[in-house]
This record gives sequence, C-alpha cells and structure tokens, in this order.
Amino acid sequence: MSLQFQKRNSGQIVLPGEPLGVIEEFVPDTGTYVKDGTIYSKVVGRALIDFLNKRVSVFPLVHGARAPKVGSIVVGQVSSVQSQMATVRIFKIGKKLLSGFFTGVLHVSDVHLRFVESMFDVCKPSDVLRAKVISEKNRTYHLTTKDKSLGVVYAFCSHCGGMLQQRGRSGLQCPRCGKSEKRKTAIDYGKGII
Amino acid sequence: MSQKTEKLIDKKGLRLDGRKSDELRPIKIEVGALSNADGSAYIEQGKNKILAAVYGPRELHPKHMALPDRMVLRCRYHMAPFSVQERKSPAPSRREIELSKVIREAVEPAIFVEYYPRTAIDVFVEVLQADGSTRCTSITAASLALADAGIPMRDLVVACSAGKIEDMIVLDLMDIEDKVGSADVPVAFMPNLGVITLLQMDGILTHEEFEKAVNLAIEGCKKIYTLQKEALRAKYVSVKEVEE
Repeated sequence: MSLQFQKRNSGQIVLPGEPLGVIEEFVPDTGTYVKDGTIYSKVVGRALIDFLNKRVSVFPLVHGARAPKVGSIVVGQVSSVQSQMATVRIFKIGKKLLSGFFTGVLHVSDVHLRFVESMFDVCKPSDVLRAKVISEKNRTYHLTTKDKSLGVVYAFCSHCGGMLQQRGRSGLQCPRCGKSEKRKTAIDYGKGII
Repeated sequence: MSQKTEKLIDKKGLRLDGRKSDELRPIKIEVGALSNADGSAYIEQGKNKILAAVYGPRELHPKHMALPDRMVLRCRYHMAPFSVQERKSPAPSRREIELSKVIREAVEPAIFVEYYPRTAIDVFVEVLQADGSTRCTSITAASLALADAGIPMRDLVVACSAGKIEDMIVLDLMDIEDKVGSADVPVAFMPNLGVITLLQMDGILTHEEFEKAVNLAIEGCKKIYTLQKEALRAKYVSVKEVEE
C-alpha cells in the first residue's frame, strides 16, 4: 500500500492516523498510539523522531481538547456559595479558554493555610477566581486557593454590584457605595490578569 | 415526472454533469472556517455545501447522561431551510435525526473516547446546500473539524458514495442520480487503518455489483483523503507564516 511507511523526517507536520514507524524501530511516546505493531500519530502536530533514543513523538500544533487535571490552574466564576463550600464554573484551563465550562468545588478547608471561619469571607457569587485542581474524586473537580497567586482576581460589591478595589492588605472597598468587603484575593487582584 | 425519462448517462458514457463513471465531483475544503468553535471545517463537493463545527470536550448537562469511563459524542445533522429546492421545515425531521446517528456512529470509532471521561463532544453539521450524498460529505467534514479541535483520533474518517444508475456502477452520486438511479451505497472509511466505519445500501444490487460499488467507493474515499490531508495541512502552514 502506498499510504504506508513513507520515510518521515523530524519536524514534519503529521495528521491523525499517519504511520510513523513500527515498534521494532521506535519507542512510541506522546501523541502517538500503537495498533498491530505500527505507530500512528493521533493528533495534528509535528513529528519528532529521535534516532538517538529511538523515540518517536508528535508535538501537537493545536492545544485543544483540554479537561481539568490534577494540578492544573483554572479560572472560573463563583456560581454559588454556602458556609462550607463554593461552586465554581471553570471557563479557563491554563491559558486555554473553554467553549463550555466545567464545574469545580472549593471547600473552606482548602482556601487558606490558616483557619477560615466561613466561605462568605472568601468569595461571593459572580466573583472571578483562580484556583488549582487538587482532586477529581467523586466526579467533581476539587479546587484549592492555598497560594499567594491563587484566589479571587475580580470581585463585585454585594450591595451595588460595582467592582471592588483593593484597599490595604486584604480589604476591598466598593468605589461607588463605599462598602467594605472581605475576600481571599490573589496577589494580582484587579490587575486585569485572568 | 420529466426527470424519470431523462437519460442519466449519455452515449459517450458521461453523466449529467459530464463526469465519467469513476469521477468525483470537484471538492473544496477549508479547515477552521469558524472562529468561535473549537474546531470547524467547510466543504464543498459539487453543489453540496456543508459546515461542521466541534465544541468540547466539555461538561455534559444533564450530568446523569455522562459516562464514568468515556466521553459522550453528540452529533446534530441539520439541513438549512434553503438547502433544498422546496423549503424544508427547520425542525429536525425523522431523516435528520437518523443521519445524526449515522454520522455519530461513523466518526466515533476514530476518536479516543476513553481519554476524557464524563465529558461530551458536540458535533454540529449544517447543510447549507444539498445535492446528494450529504451524509458522506458531512462525515468527511466532521472528522476534519474533530482533528482541528485537537481531539486525539486514530485516523481521519473519509466517506464517499457509490451507486447504480442505468445498470452502471458509478462513484459519488448527486441528487438526481440518487433519486432516479436504482441503488446507493455510502461508505465511510479510515484510510490508514483500512477500516470501514459506515456501510449502508439503499436499493437493489447483486452480490457482484455490491462488491464493485464498495470497492469503487473506497477508491473514491482515498482520493478525498488526499484532499482532506492537504486542507488540514494548509491551515497550519498558513498559521506558521503569520507567526513569523
């Protein structure tokens, strides 16, 4: 068959299903799969053929197809808050904006290194929050904000809806109605970085 | 109807649009036609004009439909009201619901469905203009859109139809040939793995004719596959030029 076993060079763009070699000559690495002893690409990407270590991998050109994993940094909007936990609609994973969303859960015990009394002092519905995924047990993404860079990055006044501005260390104040509020803010709160 | 009396093949053995029996219609493919979709493709095959969009993987709602060990592939085939001669109701018809299932089952074997458990991928196929074998053209477009979305796939899926008109086995039926002709065999194929993912037959064929039609359709698939590859490569080559 003419489709099979064309000579491939490193850096060449390959498409899903293109044969890259056989398992006798290479060790299949990321972006490839093996069927009946032949190594095929499974994504659109650049083929990297390492003749020294006898490895073949495909470096993807599109960073699509992302689902949250343990350890990934996500950004989401708080959709509901209870005294013990908050629900977050994740709309960004790493640098990739999602077309849909995933639902994550943030528990009070995972908010801060120190003791936090109530979730209402951490975030309010509609706040934008950066967090890290710590577990995906029980079919839910469990989040943590136990880091300086994690926490609320945008917050809105619970009284008038204006955007809260940072005042002092962790105090936030509404410029429109003057109400002071409490949040677990990230270090770059209000800088426009999501 | 006047179409019934019309000759589908002339004395020289050419079809109504001047094609030979084993000739495809002219094909134009564009990958990444939609900016808001995760992946998309636009294909013109003769007078067929089809747009496919892929969204996901994303969380499935209602959640009880999600599968714990694999993702759910959802597909919607829809014909625009202006896609055919007589205005078609925009509501999904029985035929469209069936074709949605057919397309889903034709592309699903190509996807590593177990990589993203509890999520869903949505494939939307919109037929802007229809002229026969839209299911095949849709499958070709849908698999390109999936590859464009960066979803890990075993292979691209290509589809092409063959059929019998006036006792002759021909490739890539158009609307009149499908309606007046005596049989239609759509085939979806994974060219690198050599696997058929869809095989249907509408009409009456003998064993020999059926075998001939399937082989002809597979030959057609391989021709479309080269165009599919070209289109997918073209997108990334142009992206590279913009960056530099």
